[in-house]
Amino acid sequence: MAGALVSIRDLTIALPPGAERANAAEHVSLDIGHNEIVCIVGESGSGKSLTAHAVMGLLPRGVAVTGGSITFQDKDLLRLPPEGMRRRRGRDLAMIFQDPMAALNPVMPIGRQITEQIRAHRPVSEAVAMDAAAALLGQMGLADVAGLLRAFPFQLSGGQRQRVMIAMALSLSPSLLIADEPTTALDVTTQAQILRLLKTIQAEREMSVLFITHDFGVVADIADRVAVMRQGRIVESGTTAEVLGNPTDPYTRALIDAVPRLRHAPPVPSGAAPLLTVSGLGKNFRRGGLFSRDKQIAALDGVSLSIGRGETLGIVGESGSGKSTLARCIIRLLDPDAGAVLFDGADIAHMKPRALRPRRRRMQMVFQDPFSSLNPRQTVGNIVTAGPRAYGEGGAASRARAADILALVGLDPAAMRRFPHEFSGGQRQRIALARALMLKPDILIADEPVSALDVTVQAQVLKLLDDVRRQMNLAMLFITHDMRVAAQVCHRVMVMRAGRVVESGPTSEVFAAPSDPYTRELLAAIPGRDRLGFAAAN
Amino acid sequence: MREFARRFFARPATVAGFAVFTLILLVALAAPLLFAHGPFSIVGMPLRPPGSPGLLAGSDVLGRDMAAGLAYGARISLLVGVTSTLCAAGVGVLLGAVAGYYGGVIDDLLMRITEFFQIIPSFVLLMVLVSFLEPSLGSIVLGIAMISWPQVARVVRGEFRALRNREFVEAARTLGESDARIIFTQILPNALPPIIVISSMMVGSAILTESALSFLDLGDPNLLSWGSMIAGSRSAMWVAWWTTVLPGLAIMATVLSLNFMGDGLNDALNPRRRER
Amino acid sequence: MNRRLTYILMRLVRSLLVALAVVFLSFFLIRLAPGDAAEVMAGQSGYSDATYIKDLRAEYGLDRPLPVQFWRYAKAVLRGDLGTSYERREKVLDVILQRLPNTLLLDAFALIVAIGGGVWLGSVAARRPGSAGDAAVTFLSMLFYATPQFWLGMMAVLLFSIWLGWLPPFGIETMGADYTGLVRLADVARHMLLPGTTLALYFMASYARLTRTAMIEVADLDFVKTARAKGITERQVQRRHVLRNALIPLVTFAGLQASILIAGSVLVENVFSWPGIGTLAYEAVTARDNPLLLGIFIVTAVLVSLFNLATDIAYSIADPRVELAA
Repeated sequence: MAGALVSIRDLTIALPPGAERANAAEHVSLDIGHNEIVCIVGESGSGKSLTAHAVMGLLPRGVAVTGGSITFQDKDLLRLPPEGMRRRRGRDLAMIFQDPMAALNPVMPIGRQITEQIRAHRPVSEAVAMDAAAALLGQMGLADVAGLLRAFPFQLSGGQRQRVMIAMALSLSPSLLIADEPTTALDVTTQAQILRLLKTIQAEREMSVLFITHDFGVVADIADRVAVMRQGRIVESGTTAEVLGNPTDPYTRALIDAVPRLRHAPPVPSGAAPLLTVSGLGKNFRRGGLFSRDKQIAALDGVSLSIGRGETLGIVGESGSGKSTLARCIIRLLDPDAGAVLFDGADIAHMKPRALRPRRRRMQMVFQDPFSSLNPRQTVGNIVTAGPRAYGEGGAASRARAADILALVGLDPAAMRRFPHEFSGGQRQRIALARALMLKPDILIADEPVSALDVTVQAQVLKLLDDVRRQMNLAMLFITHDMRVAAQVCHRVMVMRAGRVVESGPTSEVFAAPSDPYTRELLAAIPGRDRLGFAAAN
Repeated sequence: MREFARRFFARPATVAGFAVFTLILLVALAAPLLFAHGPFSIVGMPLRPPGSPGLLAGSDVLGRDMAAGLAYGARISLLVGVTSTLCAAGVGVLLGAVAGYYGGVIDDLLMRITEFFQIIPSFVLLMVLVSFLEPSLGSIVLGIAMISWPQVARVVRGEFRALRNREFVEAARTLGESDARIIFTQILPNALPPIIVISSMMVGSAILTESALSFLDLGDPNLLSWGSMIAGSRSAMWVAWWTTVLPGLAIMATVLSLNFMGDGLNDALNPRRRER
Repeated sequence: MNRRLTYILMRLVRSLLVALAVVFLSFFLIRLAPGDAAEVMAGQSGYSDATYIKDLRAEYGLDRPLPVQFWRYAKAVLRGDLGTSYERREKVLDVILQRLPNTLLLDAFALIVAIGGGVWLGSVAARRPGSAGDAAVTFLSMLFYATPQFWLGMMAVLLFSIWLGWLPPFGIETMGADYTGLVRLADVARHMLLPGTTLALYFMASYARLTRTAMIEVADLDFVKTARAKGITERQVQRRHVLRNALIPLVTFAGLQASILIAGSVLVENVFSWPGIGTLAYEAVTARDNPLLLGIFIVTAVLVSLFNLATDIAYSIADPRVELAA
C-alpha cells in the first residue's frame, strides 16, 4: 500500500528458549493506511498480541525482534534509539490493553494518570493538563467527571475504566491507536458500547486503528481490513468484505464457521415431563464487615424454571446476573435462602446432606475454567473415577467404565495415567465432562463450559456436549454470557438480569421477537450479527 | 521421584546446601563415636589454636576439645530445630486447615490469635517462658514451638481458604466426596509445597533462636550447645578467635544449608512457577 | 475522611485489645513461675518463716481467688504499676523507663539504616535480574539471614575494635569522659555505629529480598506497560509506578519486623554492653527477677503494638484500597 501510515515488513519476533515455538511471529507483513481500522484476528498463541506490542516497542523481557522493519511516518521504529521511541509513544502512537483493571495503576488517582501522559510530552501545568483530562473524559461519555478525576481505578466499573484508558490514549491525538483485545474482558453490552465509541472516535479524528481480536464477529462489525494470523504467520488478509465473503485459506474458513450462530432452530422435544422444577428461588449475600452497614445483595430473586429429559435450557446473562449462583444453588454447592428445587418428586433446596446424597449423584456439573477444575496433583484416572469412588464403587469395573467414557468424549484411555497439565484446554474440558458422566447423571449443568476456550475448540466441545446429551438423553442446563452460543445449542433460553428472569421461551422465538428491552439490548450487542448471517431464524 | 530429584538438584546452591547439611547431620550422629570423651572433658591446655596435636579445632577457655563441642552442639541444634518445627507444624497445619476450610467463627478466632502472636515480641515472651519454666531441652523446644506455630497456621489457613474455592474442590463436592476426603485428598496435596518449604526455613530459625537462648544463659545447663560455646568464650575472644568464630560458622553453615535446601524444595515442588 | 477515621478507630481498638490480651497473658505467665512472689520475696529478705510468708501473701492479695487477683493485677498494670523489681527494690516501670530511651535510639537508627539500605539494594538488584550484582545481593542477603546476630556483633567487635581499632567495642559513651553537648552526641554516635549496623544487617537482608521480589513482580504487571506506553521516562516509570506499588507490602512488613527487632536488640545490646532494655532483660534473667522480666515483656508488647498501629495507618495512606475493605 503506498503512503501507508504503518508498514510492517517481514517482521520476526523470537521467543525465549523453552517456549512452544521459536518465533512468536514470522515474516509478518502488514500495512495500515490512514483513517482506517485494521484488525488482526487469531486464536490464543497466534502471535497477534506480540506483533502489536512490537509496534509500540513494548515487548516483554526475553522476547525480541530478530528481523524485519516497522515503518511509521517514514521512520523505522525498530532502528530508533530508545529516547526517540519514547517520545513517540503516547504522542504519535498509543495503545490500550485488554484488562483495564490491571492496566491502570491501582494507587494513583485517575486524573493524575491522564495528566502524567499529557505532561510527558507537553510543557503545561498540572492544572491545564487536568482541564484537558476532564474534557476528554466528557467526550468519552462519562458522567461526574470531577469525581472520576479524583477516584481510584478500583472504584470504577469495567466499562468506565476502559473509557478512561481510551481517553488517556487519545489525549495527545495520536495518528495510530493500537487496541489489544480491549473488549474481551467486558460484558457484551459494554463491549458493544465501547466498540461504538471507538468507531465514532476513529471517524471523528480520522485516526488509524490496529485492533487485535479473537472474535470474527467484532471483525465484521468494525474492521475495514483484516489479517488472519495463525502460529505466527499471516495466512490471509484483505478487506473485510473480501475475507468474510470469500475466504481462501481453510483456516480462515474454519474460524469464520466456528463463530456460533443461529443456523437452524433445534426443535423443542415434545412432551418431556419436567425432570427438574425450580420455583421462586432466592439467594442473598451479605456484604460488609463489623463496622460497615450491612448490605444485603439479592443474587437471586424469585427465579423459576423447569427442564425435561433430552432438552437443553440456556441461562443467559452478563456478569452479576446471578446465573452462576443459580447453578450452584440448584446443585447445592450453595444453600438457597428461599424457594424450592423439585427434583424427581422431592424438594432438595433445603434437604439435609444425608438425604441429599443419593439424589445428588444424578446431577452433575461441568465448570468454566479448564485449568482449575481438575486437581493438578491427581492423575486423570483418579480424577475421572473420583465420583464412583466417593460412593464406594471404585475398583476395576469403574476404571474400565472410565476408559470407555474417555473414549466417548474423544480421548485416548491411556490418558488415565497422565496429569492434567499435559493436556490442552479443550482436552481438559473433555476430561471434566467424562468425570461428570461417570455417575450416570440425569441432569448436566454446564457453567460456561466453553468461555475459556479458543473458538475452533469451542465449536468441537459444543458439538460434543450436544452429542452426549442426545445419546444419554440428559437434561442440560447451559449457562453462558454469549448469546451466539446459546442460540446454537439451546432449545429454550432464559435471560437473567440482576438476579431475576426477564424473559424465557423457545430459542427461535426469543431471538426473533424478544419482548423484554434488556433482551433486545443483548441481541443488539451481539458482534457481527448483521454481517455474519446472524439474522433471526427462518 | 526422579523428576523431583532432578528439579531439586537443579541449582548448585541447593546441591551445596544438601551436601553441607548431610555432613553436619553425619557428624552429629557420629559424635559419641568420634568423641567418646564427651564435650565437657578437659583434654589439654586451654586456648590451644586449631591444628595443635590432637585438637583439630583447638581448645576453649577451660581446655575442652572444641571439635567435640562442635560435634555435640550439632546434635542439640538439629534436635531442637527438628522437634520444635515438627510440633509447630503439626499444630499449625491442623488448626490452619480447619480454620481455612470451614471459615466462620473458628477462622476469625484463629486469625486473632495469629495476629496477636505476630504483634507481640515473641523472643521476649520466649525468654519469659523458658526462664519461668526453668531452662531445659524440653522447655526450649516447647517454647519455640509455641511461638512459631502461628506463622504456619497463617500460611496453611491462607492456602486452604484459597483452594477451597477452586473449581476442582467444587467438583469434588458435587461428586459426593466427604469433607474429610476433600481436605486430605484434594486440598492437602496442593497445600503441601508451601508447608514443606516454610518448615525447612523454620528449622533454621529455630536453630538460630536456640543459639540465642543459650547465649543468654537460657539454654539447658547440662548440655553444650553452639550458643553456649560462644557465650563462654567471650572473655577469650580477644586472644583466641577460634573459640567464638568456629561455633558461629557452624551455626551459619547449618542455617544457610537449610535455607538453600528450602529454595531447592520450592523449585522442586512448584515446577510451573515462573522464573524468579 | 470519615472512612479514614473509622479505620483508625478500628485499629486503635484492636491495639487496645492486644494490650488487654498481653495483660491477661502476663497474669497467666506469673502463675507459671516457680514459687509465688511471697516466697521469693521472703527468701530474698532472708526470712523463711511460714507466718511471715503467710502475712506477705495476705498483704499482696495472693490468698484471694484467681479472678480477684487478676482484677487487682490488671488495675495495677493499667495504672502503670508493673510491680517491684526483686533485686533492685525499685518500681519495675521506673527501671525500664530509665533504659528505654537507649534502646529506642539504637532501634530507630537500625531501622532507618535497614530500610534505607535494604530498599536501595533490593531495587538495584531488581533492575537487572540475573546479573552478577543481583546474584551478589541475593547471596549476601541469604548469608546475613543465616547469621546469628549476637555472633555477628562479636565478629564486628573483633574486626573493627580489636584488629582495626577504629570503633569502641562497648557501651554507649566513653566512660568517665563526661562529654557534653555536640561532643557528647558525636561520642554516642561513634559508639552506636557498630551495634546499630550489626542490628540493621539482618533486617537489611530481609528488606533487600522483599524489595527485590516485590519490584520484579510489579514490573511484570500490566499497568507498568501502560506507563511505558504513555511515553514517560523510564525513571518516572520506576519511581511512580513500580517502586510506589512495590513499597506497599514493605510497609506492613516493617510493622511485623518490630517484634523481631526487639529480639535482635536484646542480643546485640548484650554483646555491646549497650545499656538498654536488652541488657536489662539479661540481668533480669540472671537474677531471676520475674517482675522485671515480665514488665519488660509488657512494655515491649505495648510499644510494638503502637508501632504496628502507626504502620497500619501508613499502609492505609499508601494503599487507598484498604479502607474500603476494612
